[in-house]
Amino acid sequence: MLAEKALDLIRELQRTLSGTLSPYNEDKIRQVLEEMQNLYDQNRDRAHYAAGQADVFAAIQLRHAAIQRNKRCLLAYLYNRLEQIRKMRWEFGSVLPSDVRYNMCEQEVQWFTQYNRQLANYMKTIGESGGLDLTQDMKPPKTLYVLVRCIMDHGEFETQDGNIILLKKNSQHYLLRSECEHLIRQGILEHLVH
Amino acid sequence: MAAYSVPAGVCTNYFNIDDILASQEKVPCVFNAKVAALGYLDQSTTDVDLNVGTKLELPFWLARFLQKGARNIVTVDTPKTYKEGYRNIFTADPNVVDLHRLGPFFYLFGGKLLTLQLPDAEEIADVLLKTFQGRFRKIMDGSQNALHADLTSQTSVLDDQERHLFAAGQDSLHGFHRWEKRETEKLSTSVMVANHRKRKRIGAMPTAS
Amino acid sequence: MLIKDFRRDFYDVLQHQRVLILVAFDVDALCACKILQYLFQCDQVLYTVVPVNGLQGVENAFLENAEGIKHVILINCGASVDIVELLQPEDNVRFYICDSHRPVDIHNYYNAVQVKLLMRGEELSVPSYDEVFRDDESSESDTENDDPELGGKKKRFDDEAILRRQERRRWKENRVKLLFDYTKFTSFGTSAALVMFELAWKLSKDTNNLLWLAIVGVTDQQIHYRTPREKYMEDVLALQVHVSRHNQRGDDDENLLSVNCLRVSFEEELHLSLYRHWSLFDSICHSTSVACKLKLWSLKGQKKLHEFLAEMGLPLAQCKQQYSAMESTLKSEVKEKMQTFMHKYGLEIQDIILPSFTMQYGYKSVLCAADHVMMCAALLESIDKSKMLTDYFLDGTEVLQRSNQEKMDSGVDAAKHQLRSMVKQIQSFIDMHQIISAGPFLYVFIQEGAADSRFFSHPQCLIRLARFTLEAHCNVTRNKRARILPLILGAPLMNEEGSTLVVGIPPLDTDDERKNFFGKAFEQAAESTNTSAKFNSFESHVIEMKSEDKSKFFDAMIGLLQ
Repeated sequence: MLAEKALDLIRELQRTLSGTLSPYNEDKIRQVLEEMQNLYDQNRDRAHYAAGQADVFAAIQLRHAAIQRNKRCLLAYLYNRLEQIRKMRWEFGSVLPSDVRYNMCEQEVQWFTQYNRQLANYMKTIGESGGLDLTQDMKPPKTLYVLVRCIMDHGEFETQDGNIILLKKNSQHYLLRSECEHLIRQGILEHLVH
Repeated sequence: MAAYSVPAGVCTNYFNIDDILASQEKVPCVFNAKVAALGYLDQSTTDVDLNVGTKLELPFWLARFLQKGARNIVTVDTPKTYKEGYRNIFTADPNVVDLHRLGPFFYLFGGKLLTLQLPDAEEIADVLLKTFQGRFRKIMDGSQNALHADLTSQTSVLDDQERHLFAAGQDSLHGFHRWEKRETEKLSTSVMVANHRKRKRIGAMPTAS
Repeated sequence: MLIKDFRRDFYDVLQHQRVLILVAFDVDALCACKILQYLFQCDQVLYTVVPVNGLQGVENAFLENAEGIKHVILINCGASVDIVELLQPEDNVRFYICDSHRPVDIHNYYNAVQVKLLMRGEELSVPSYDEVFRDDESSESDTENDDPELGGKKKRFDDEAILRRQERRRWKENRVKLLFDYTKFTSFGTSAALVMFELAWKLSKDTNNLLWLAIVGVTDQQIHYRTPREKYMEDVLALQVHVSRHNQRGDDDENLLSVNCLRVSFEEELHLSLYRHWSLFDSICHSTSVACKLKLWSLKGQKKLHEFLAEMGLPLAQCKQQYSAMESTLKSEVKEKMQTFMHKYGLEIQDIILPSFTMQYGYKSVLCAADHVMMCAALLESIDKSKMLTDYFLDGTEVLQRSNQEKMDSGVDAAKHQLRSMVKQIQSFIDMHQIISAGPFLYVFIQEGAADSRFFSHPQCLIRLARFTLEAHCNVTRNKRARILPLILGAPLMNEEGSTLVVGIPPLDTDDERKNFFGKAFEQAAESTNTSAKFNSFESHVIEMKSEDKSKFFDAMIGLLQ
């Protein structure tokens, strides 16, 4: 059937869970592009003598539909991956886990770097003094400081005032909320509320 | 949140995955015109061309394209699950039907069918609405009241959109409970990160053992 | 140095500073730590809490976290060692020690710059400064070094020098004697939690919640045989004043506390372990005093208990079901009836009644302080192998959080499990006649690989087992001297094969002084036999040693105590 391979790409997207990125399926994409090229070549060859021949004309239209369909699937594949990568910027922070990065294609890596840069530049320009970190305070903060517990060994962490804190598994710390919110979101610290 | 997302199936979005998948559902078609050199689409014949009167199940996107307006290359028939026989079942008791098996994009695809100018379009629209109305109470009941129970038996018969609805209900229920227990102020690990870590652990296990 | 004004010299100093808190693994320390955390959170003092297990733990935690830290608080650890000597800190680091272990090391006591002691001064009887330190020591030793040369040159005796030397020798002898007397017994002072609560009170930041933590801390000292009964009663009376201050608001309806508030009340509690969360029958069987007096591990004892229950008019079926499901008329009579009939069965009032406190929160069932201690202690010394030591600590912290019902339940289960294996262990001690008299003391060892021995590789649990064992033994043995003999109990260590955890407890007759001489005795025995014992624990009467050194070590102990 026509445009089956492109649909496989979409199904692949559907199966992907949040928090992961499936490997960039370069092979499949090449196959889809080949199919499109084929359909296009056939249409071009026949376009010369299609005039007046209803059956040839119908075939051209049918192939054209398939080309459009393939295009839609390919674009949707790329677009949804970018969306996922963009979400990851907000969830994981500016450095993505290595397995995610490994699954990105070169253009995606480029896009991510640029997105990162633009976001940083934008955040620098807003706010009164020296910018505003938009990735902070995703929930309205209730306290200035929070009590956190370390879930995993993370090594040393330097606070804004220059102190160094050792984040060792199961140690408890009372820290500035703004400093540890990222670490909480990344699952290194657990926020203790009582 | 910065991420921009389309509620599945509410509007037809060019990039929407569900929409693409729903438009892949098959529709029975009869060819009104001969189509040259595409006989290979019909696996039951060895003819080079697709002849007039060929009956073929085509994906919705293709069927709609070929049927549209002056083109009129195919005539489209109502798919089986939307025909009168099934419609009667839905009207009798919508709650017993396994829409996931019949769908899983029952409503989304049904809505798309309406654009095909089928003779029974009105009945189809009617039955879509009635089915949803009939099933909605049960979905809401289930999603708003089961806090920790295993819900797979209930959700497995739901259509894709119904599942989204169900998940939204569950979300609000859990949110309410967290609010009651004053947990909303608690900062938590992002869901994405947690999933990622879980996957990694599962992936790492076979090599470790 | 002792701090007089906690607020001025301790709390105010820490404002806007980063603080490192090192906490020992006991319930009292946990409670004290939670009170302190609350205070610091009120005033936004940044802190780091690190649980420490043993002196080695203190050293490691300090090394890892000391960077940039100028203030270190030690809770229930560190007082009995020279902390400056142990940690070699930089000159600007200050230690604040809130520790109930006694005696306090004299170096800590007389270090006016780096060490601040948060404890009640009147409880310490430290030798006076002049008796243990001499300021002229350096010049003295100088002259001493010079002396022979001088003597060699001038060949004449300096009467003055001789006199000085004699005086110095006397002083030295006196010093050794004083220090020996001072460190001979280890004991416990006021609970750290109570000290912290009083600080909170002085800061006007005390709440019912903090009060409950202080109560749990004080009760922990009673449950783990740390303080004499009079001391406990004294603390209870002090706490009672706070309890009535926080929980009584006049009798009219308007002033009643909402059911959603924590309510604490003073009560003459039945001294039975966990009975509110168990069946009455099981609870009696697992409570030290009653179980020992009635010899409940034997068939005869069981019969006696049945008799006792029958006489009180409590149907067996009722006693063996969950206490919470017992008929309420019976429940209300239990305490009174036990007191009426106890004398016939040789029970005393303090075996059955413990003046204590209970708390209630919402519509949940009442929880008494002793049970809370047991739950917390059981989680602190859990045997769950999948968790790390620090996980136990966090579990313990969470169980003190009254709103965490799930943890509470798991705490109850853990405590029951611990008690059951304790009773089983004692039964096997008694049945197999494993408790052996070595002359000046009794000893018993848990076999390696014995069921549930994992519980007893933790010190607090082992101490409770030792006490239970000694009491049980005194009640069955025909040896009249048993009551004046101390007991040494050894258990295999869970994590290190071939090692034994050894604890010594004083004899029952002098038990209520809660003074333990084993710390010094162990030290001397290890020294004289060259045993590589580890004195890692904050309690010096708990040591670790290689199992093969046991007999050698014990011979030395016998020689020492005779």
